[in-house]
Amino acid sequence: MDSRRSTAREFVHGITALILALFLLGVSSGLGIMKNIVDIWGAILFIPEYPAVVMREIYLSWRSWSRDKNYLSSEVSRLRNENANLRLELAKISGGRVYSDDRKTDSRTARVTLRAPMSWWSEIRIDRGKNDSITQGLPIFSGGYLVGRVSTVSAISSWAELITSSSFMIPAVIEETRELGVVEGDGSGSVLLRYIPAGRGVRSGMKVSTAMIGEELPPGLPIGQIAGEFTSGSDGYTTYRIEPGADLSRFYTVNY
Amino acid sequence: MIIVILWLIQDLLTVFTGGGMQIPGLFILGVVCRILLDDGSGDGYLWGIWAAFAGGILWDLRWIGIPGFFTLGYVLVVLIVIQVWGMIPPQGRVSGTSVIVFVLLEATQLIPPMLPVLILGGNTGWGYFLTQQVWALPAILFTMYIYLRTIRDRTV
Repeated sequence: MDSRRSTAREFVHGITALILALFLLGVSSGLGIMKNIVDIWGAILFIPEYPAVVMREIYLSWRSWSRDKNYLSSEVSRLRNENANLRLELAKISGGRVYSDDRKTDSRTARVTLRAPMSWWSEIRIDRGKNDSITQGLPIFSGGYLVGRVSTVSAISSWAELITSSSFMIPAVIEETRELGVVEGDGSGSVLLRYIPAGRGVRSGMKVSTAMIGEELPPGLPIGQIAGEFTSGSDGYTTYRIEPGADLSRFYTVNY
Repeated sequence: MIIVILWLIQDLLTVFTGGGMQIPGLFILGVVCRILLDDGSGDGYLWGIWAAFAGGILWDLRWIGIPGFFTLGYVLVVLIVIQVWGMIPPQGRVSGTSVIVFVLLEATQLIPPMLPVLILGGNTGWGYFLTQQVWALPAILFTMYIYLRTIRDRTV
């Protein structure tokens, strides 16, 4: 008898819980307070979940490192072959004189230690500072292309403004036509080349580099190439979209 | 306490995998395993129903955003387990119930994740459930081992 009563009670409780769950399902999606509750619960769980977050980050960075290493190895061997072929071509053109790349470059590498989501296209922090001869305005590169310049320097780290930042403006030149303009970011991942007079035969694929008239950056630093026309104003000037030579979505180190 | 820890482990594993993989429902496995090992005296299995309800709500708040989906699934599973388990006389629960226990434990991994898909729709397909079941199988077998060992220790 007791067992039967207990079973009935469990059944009633179970059905009550089911109805309550269905009620919550039906009502809660329309409640604005639910978002706050979800946020609070997420904030509470942040502490116990922290080790898992760290472990996941370690795993992802290890996987990314491993993938990058393979990619870079294949890229290095491809570039070596390309370089050898180019040297042969150059030797043919210059009458047999073979150029070597023994020229020492003093390019050094810095690791990107922070790229905050809120300022994703504006700035990065690197793990080199005053102690490593970093100075304000120093250009930084990725894959041989300009990605930004150092904006603030501390002893052991520095912040650099990216070319996609809306406050980044530098004079630039289209190498094929020698037209001068201003390169600036839009803060959303795009880079634009402004103030190019319309009708000067600028085409997609033309190379853009820093111009000699710049005070902060030396001339000839490669930026990227013309990707297409962005706007053509009534003032007779055209704005072009630039495809940066560096992959701004996937760089973990920079050269300076 | 062990159920709370299992909930937390399930949560940590989901965080680790970034939600991209269906982690076995360790929490509901723990609740059902305790129900199967409990003799149902006192308030019966009421604790199981409300533990499933609370665990489901907390899971929904953490991973779904709308309470109800896993709450419904967890409570439904516990209710089914209690009803099926109640049909077997206590003398018969000790031996020869491995298949039933396995089916009940399997239901804990099948019903809760299926409900959101049935309610919301989606094209996750059978492959998704199959992968989830394969991942859940070691957890189910381990729970069965715990259950059978505890039963054996009690009878010895």
